[in-house]
Amino acid sequence: MTQFLLQTIWWVPGYALLGAILTLPWSTGIVRRTGPRPAAYFNLFLTVLSFIHGSAAFILIWGQEPQQLVFHWLQAADLDLTLTLEISPVSLGAMEIVTAISLLAQLFALGYMEKDWALARFYSMMGFFEAALLAIALSDSLLLSYGLLEMLTLSTYFLVGFWYAQPLVVTAARDAFLTKRVGDILLFMGLVALSSYGAGLNFSELADWSETYPLSPLTSALLGLALIAGPTGKCAQFPLNLWLDEAMEGPNPASIMRNSIVVSAGAYVLIKLQPVFTLSPISSDALIIIGSVTAIGTSLMAIAQIDIKRAISHTTSAYLGLVFIAVGLGQVDIALMLLFTHAIAKALMFMSVGSIISTVSDQNMGEMGGLWSRMPATTMAFVVGAASLVVILPLGTFWTVQRWVSGLWQVSPWLFAILLFVNATTAFGFTRVFRLVFLGEPQLKTRRAPEVAWQMALPMVTLTVMTLLSPVVPLRWSLWLSTTTPLANGDTLLIRLALPLLVLSGGVGVVLGATTQLRRGGWVRPTQVSFRFVQDLLAYDFYIERLYDLTVVSAVSVLSRVTAWFDRFIVDGFVNLVGLAAVMGGEGLKYSSSGRSQSYVLTILVGIGLLFLLAMGWTMNWSLL
Amino acid sequence: MLSVLIWVPLVGAILISLLPDKPATSLARPVALTVALGLLVWTTVLGVQFDPGQPGMQFTEYLVWIETIGLNYHLGVDGLSLPLLCLNALLTVIAIWSSDRTILRPRFYYALILLLNVGVSGAFLAQDLLLFFLFYELELIPLYFLIIIWGGPQRGYAATKFLIYTAISGALILASFLGVVWLSGVSSFDYEPLRSQTLPLGAQTILLIGLLLGFGIKIPFFPLHTWLPDAHVEASTPVSVLLAGVLLKVGTYGLLRFGVGLFLDAWVYLAPWLAGWAAVSALYGASCAIAQQDMKKVVAYSSIAHMAFILLGASATTRLSLLATVCQMVSHGLISALLFLLVGVVAKKTGSRDVNYLRGLLNPEKGLPLIGSLMILGVMAGAGIPGMVGFVAEFLIFRGSFPIFPVQTLLCMVGTGLTAVYFLLMINRVFFGRLPVELANLPRVQWGDRLPSVALALLIIALGIQPNWLIRWSEPQIATLVTDYGQGKALRESLPIAAVLNAPNVPVAVPPSVLPVAPIEN
Amino acid sequence: MVSTRKLGSSKHPLAEYVYRLESGNALLPDSPENVVEVVGILKSYGVVLDAYSRNLIYTSEHQFLVLFPFFKYFNGDVSWARLVRHWMHDRINFEYAEYCMRTMLWHGGGGLDGYLDSPEFTALARTVIQAKIKGNVLLQSLDRLFPDFLLEQVRQYTYYSGLGQFWRVMSDMFLSLSDRYDQGEIQSIPAVVQHILNGLVEAANQPITYHVKVDNQTYPIIPESAGLTFLSDTAVPYVEAVFFRGTPFPGTVSYNAQANQIPFDQSDFTYGALYADPLPIGGSGIPPTQLMQDMSHYLPEYLHEVYRRGLREEDDLRVKICQSFQKSMFCVTTAAILGLMPHPADTTNPEEQRANRTYLEKWMDRLVPSQLTVIQDS
Repeated sequence: MTQFLLQTIWWVPGYALLGAILTLPWSTGIVRRTGPRPAAYFNLFLTVLSFIHGSAAFILIWGQEPQQLVFHWLQAADLDLTLTLEISPVSLGAMEIVTAISLLAQLFALGYMEKDWALARFYSMMGFFEAALLAIALSDSLLLSYGLLEMLTLSTYFLVGFWYAQPLVVTAARDAFLTKRVGDILLFMGLVALSSYGAGLNFSELADWSETYPLSPLTSALLGLALIAGPTGKCAQFPLNLWLDEAMEGPNPASIMRNSIVVSAGAYVLIKLQPVFTLSPISSDALIIIGSVTAIGTSLMAIAQIDIKRAISHTTSAYLGLVFIAVGLGQVDIALMLLFTHAIAKALMFMSVGSIISTVSDQNMGEMGGLWSRMPATTMAFVVGAASLVVILPLGTFWTVQRWVSGLWQVSPWLFAILLFVNATTAFGFTRVFRLVFLGEPQLKTRRAPEVAWQMALPMVTLTVMTLLSPVVPLRWSLWLSTTTPLANGDTLLIRLALPLLVLSGGVGVVLGATTQLRRGGWVRPTQVSFRFVQDLLAYDFYIERLYDLTVVSAVSVLSRVTAWFDRFIVDGFVNLVGLAAVMGGEGLKYSSSGRSQSYVLTILVGIGLLFLLAMGWTMNWSLL
Repeated sequence: MLSVLIWVPLVGAILISLLPDKPATSLARPVALTVALGLLVWTTVLGVQFDPGQPGMQFTEYLVWIETIGLNYHLGVDGLSLPLLCLNALLTVIAIWSSDRTILRPRFYYALILLLNVGVSGAFLAQDLLLFFLFYELELIPLYFLIIIWGGPQRGYAATKFLIYTAISGALILASFLGVVWLSGVSSFDYEPLRSQTLPLGAQTILLIGLLLGFGIKIPFFPLHTWLPDAHVEASTPVSVLLAGVLLKVGTYGLLRFGVGLFLDAWVYLAPWLAGWAAVSALYGASCAIAQQDMKKVVAYSSIAHMAFILLGASATTRLSLLATVCQMVSHGLISALLFLLVGVVAKKTGSRDVNYLRGLLNPEKGLPLIGSLMILGVMAGAGIPGMVGFVAEFLIFRGSFPIFPVQTLLCMVGTGLTAVYFLLMINRVFFGRLPVELANLPRVQWGDRLPSVALALLIIALGIQPNWLIRWSEPQIATLVTDYGQGKALRESLPIAAVLNAPNVPVAVPPSVLPVAPIEN
Repeated sequence: MVSTRKLGSSKHPLAEYVYRLESGNALLPDSPENVVEVVGILKSYGVVLDAYSRNLIYTSEHQFLVLFPFFKYFNGDVSWARLVRHWMHDRINFEYAEYCMRTMLWHGGGGLDGYLDSPEFTALARTVIQAKIKGNVLLQSLDRLFPDFLLEQVRQYTYYSGLGQFWRVMSDMFLSLSDRYDQGEIQSIPAVVQHILNGLVEAANQPITYHVKVDNQTYPIIPESAGLTFLSDTAVPYVEAVFFRGTPFPGTVSYNAQANQIPFDQSDFTYGALYADPLPIGGSGIPPTQLMQDMSHYLPEYLHEVYRRGLREEDDLRVKICQSFQKSMFCVTTAAILGLMPHPADTTNPEEQRANRTYLEKWMDRLVPSQLTVIQDS
């Protein structure tokens, strides 16, 4: 039984995929008389099944040696591509998180999307999304993970594009796909190169290979950068971070998944690839630089947003930036823990945000206020989620960061400074959001705000409890990937002061957030010019999008137009000129009335006949010789 | 066995044209469809009977035809041509199925489609250079008529342009064929004996360049491609399906069979340039596609970009890359056929292919939702998203070529990335957004319109998930292209390149000749 | 049209419709096709409203403050057969009724909304809440921590009841319209409008009340003494909230605050039934699809036949239903406008005519961006 449950672990993503397929009668419109909700129930049921199977397997593998499942996918010439699944506490644990959050998000969607007749399509995409995420958790093969990351790109496109008739969705879905695709193609290049250099594409083989294979520094640096690019897009890291902002046009239950486990999937692959990054100092430096720039930049962007979804989603990039730094430093255990505590808390925050949006039909925080006493589950979810993300109360991230700065890991002052900064800004931002949304006098749109129905409240409360319990993991099992406890810089002044300072930074953020002046009522911008400039700069994401429009986008567009012009007038013209003689010769061909077709057949046949005779003539001449 | 593929459609075509005038309207289509379906079944039977483990030609038929000029009726099939024959049979059925039921002059039309099938099958089967040439030229007559009679408003221009380009292509190919026979002093145009010729590199190179230009027009590569977008735009949907799906493949098939097969030394000598040409062509096609406003032109230019990958794979001449070219031919055949079919449905229902005019067609009640969904699938397959056959083909091409030509391969991969750009621009404009009132009264889409697209889509996914079904036919066979003859020189030429490019670990880069061609058990 | 001439012409862009109303005609042109569409669709709407209304009232009375109302759509009749049908989604989409209820609650307006903020309501609601949560420690402590939580829920149940009572009247009115049509009594659009107008006038002062039973004791939430009546406290706010304002559909409008697509002031909203474009119906993020779907099951055969004759046959059924529905809603709006007109339409007093003109022009101001001109020629 044990072996059966473990050997059939690949069924778990299969259930989700099956759920996606079962929605087809409704999503394709074959069933029209009755409604699409059975599609949702199928998916919920199959996700429960995934969860049960996954949990059983997780309990069974706990404390056991990892196992592998190998599928031979493709044998071509000298290439033997296998898809390997790893059954280990880490992979099954990751799967647990995915099924749990996915289950809750799908239940949440039952309430959030109840008015949407395209429910079947939504659930088919969620099922597909979930299947890809589960398979990534299991995958031990770069090829498989790459393929699955592309599946995620595709599902993001589908889910962001769910409300396809809405104008901003049209561009958002496209940009999300293309941005992620840039990363994917670079990753694909890295994958092809790795495979060509003879590396097996299993992560475990890659680790061995990277230790023995001699590569020139340039090649290994390029290789590392290519492999980083994929997760950079997935995790919404600078310079591929803007899609996450735009992706907020999609339905909220998908945002729950995206901001928690989907971005984590990219980072999960990054963690698995970490041995390759040790090949070149450039790639690990790149990780640290990308992570730092993103962490600082996006936490600043987050505090200036007026849209509630965006105010929270930018902090996702910031936290994933910290994960990038951790991977760059080789501290993969910390990276994994950060992903875990972040995913749970962020999913919770997004549920809270979803219930706010569905209640007040609005996302502009300036138009909200006074919700707390009427929406207990939502308020609790927001508070617990936020508190669990910042280092101030002894909840999830607090303990993860505590492990990070406990002296076991090498933590340099600059990293510590970034941590302080991100913590303070995020605490500031969350406090600001909390005040805008939950405190103060109700405004027009929040005047009547009954708490959401049980389909949304139940997952929210469940996840609140899970978030409160989540510190158990960093406290009890903080080393998932390393076999031995590292001991880095021991007991220095920095280490001793680290946690108090971090808590202090969080406290400062909260105090500043609580005292800063709020602007309510529509979109009221600051009156002070300098202040307005800063707010706009941050609210519009440092105008990076504009910058892209002016550079990459317009370059491609101009280039393509020039090429098309060149094609039409130069190439076509020139090549036609060469063939002009023939055109002259075939003047009769120009008339195209079909009634004269016989003469055309004749012309062509004569032409071919002539060629043939010519050929015969030549050959005969030669054979006579 | 193989003659059936040539003579049955020929007889069918004659039969259709001889049908009595009155009921012709009702009979031509069923007869043509029956013949095409019969051919599909027969091709499947051939596929089942075919022994992938045995390298070389199978089911060969040999008949001396005109001895004086060395022309023989010599047919055969191997792992390179079998998948293409299947593709041809399948797409002919689909083309006939999706032809307009109320088409003008149906007898002539369906006869021409079958004739086209004859030409293509013959070209894939011919084991004689001159015979190949005959079929190669034969196929352009029906295509010319199909465009000029049933085409769009500019059909005269497009058809004439097509005819002239292809005629030049034919002349160049014929010249090369004559040249090789003449120079190597063999007494017939039979393919096999010619492969053992050992012409000096210079002569080989000149002959190969002739072939390259000839087939380069047909495939087509930049800058010889301008006839293709015009032809596609003017051709009706079924003709576009056949043109993109199989006719272009005759060019790449010829390049592999004769370019690589006959002039391996020169091929390897020119290979870096060819790979560069492939990269330029791929990027150029992609770049042009971005700026197009006509859905058919977008797909047409994407064809140019994707066909270039075949040249990349062929230029690397590793076993893997050559195998990959077969995959890419099948994959591109299926995907471009699907896309042209869908664009055809859109154009038929809306009367337009203009991406600036069409909008919001995903609308489930008033639009074309299923067509839109299939289009998204087709586009994603074209962009090389894993899980579909496009990814398998492209991955194998890039993986096979990278060790030999890393820079060119990376450039081609950029081209793959651009595929997503132009296709997504098209999809998002045409299918996303709000359906405007002008488009709110579209006719219904019947299941008959959807059926061929659904079938192709399922095939694209099936082969993407289980590519072994596609590869097992060609895998041991493809080796014979480069291993039987001339391998010594190929080895000499290609080793230094490989050795320079990746020093320590070269199993892939070594031309297949050094690897024992072990028949793989199936 | 003597009166019009005397008054001079209107400068309003929709002046044509002002004249129409002044002469007692409807906003929708009178044609046999329109009569078939409007009456037919109101028949199916009546059937659906009947179900909606029953369920809303059932929920307000029997699912009062139930935190997990799993069976609230069953109207108390839970059986395996119904459960299976429920799971197969072979049922009326009561979600849409709740959506309308929440829209109405959110927009407010009218006496019902005002009453919910009165101390009288708070006192009554507190009493019933105490009775309901007696012995439930969890809810009691939750109530103490979040004092407005249950109160706000009771406000929502009040709207369940209010909208249910409103729809009860409307449903009967539409079904009797259909009966009269079947008997040949209704043959023109003005006759339809007149029927609705009569119905509204008849029910205008019907009281709106709400009582719940907790532990076999009945508690009033809206007593008769509150003086809430059908027309001014439910009908008018309903028309305002659902016909005019509505809520932005995520399928067509971006909620992104920075995109600034949604007005700050709810009174500027134009997402209601009279404004919505029917073409996106059936797509994602378009809630009224549920209503169209429900109505599609109860179409009278004569109307279904008309739809089947269309170019796309049944493929775009729900859009066609929505187009007809929109026409019928303009008839209801006409009735409401005529019913609330300060003076009779055929008055000869110039003073009164002027007052009527001003009144009508104010309505037309709001209808400028609506689908009014679109429905004229389809």
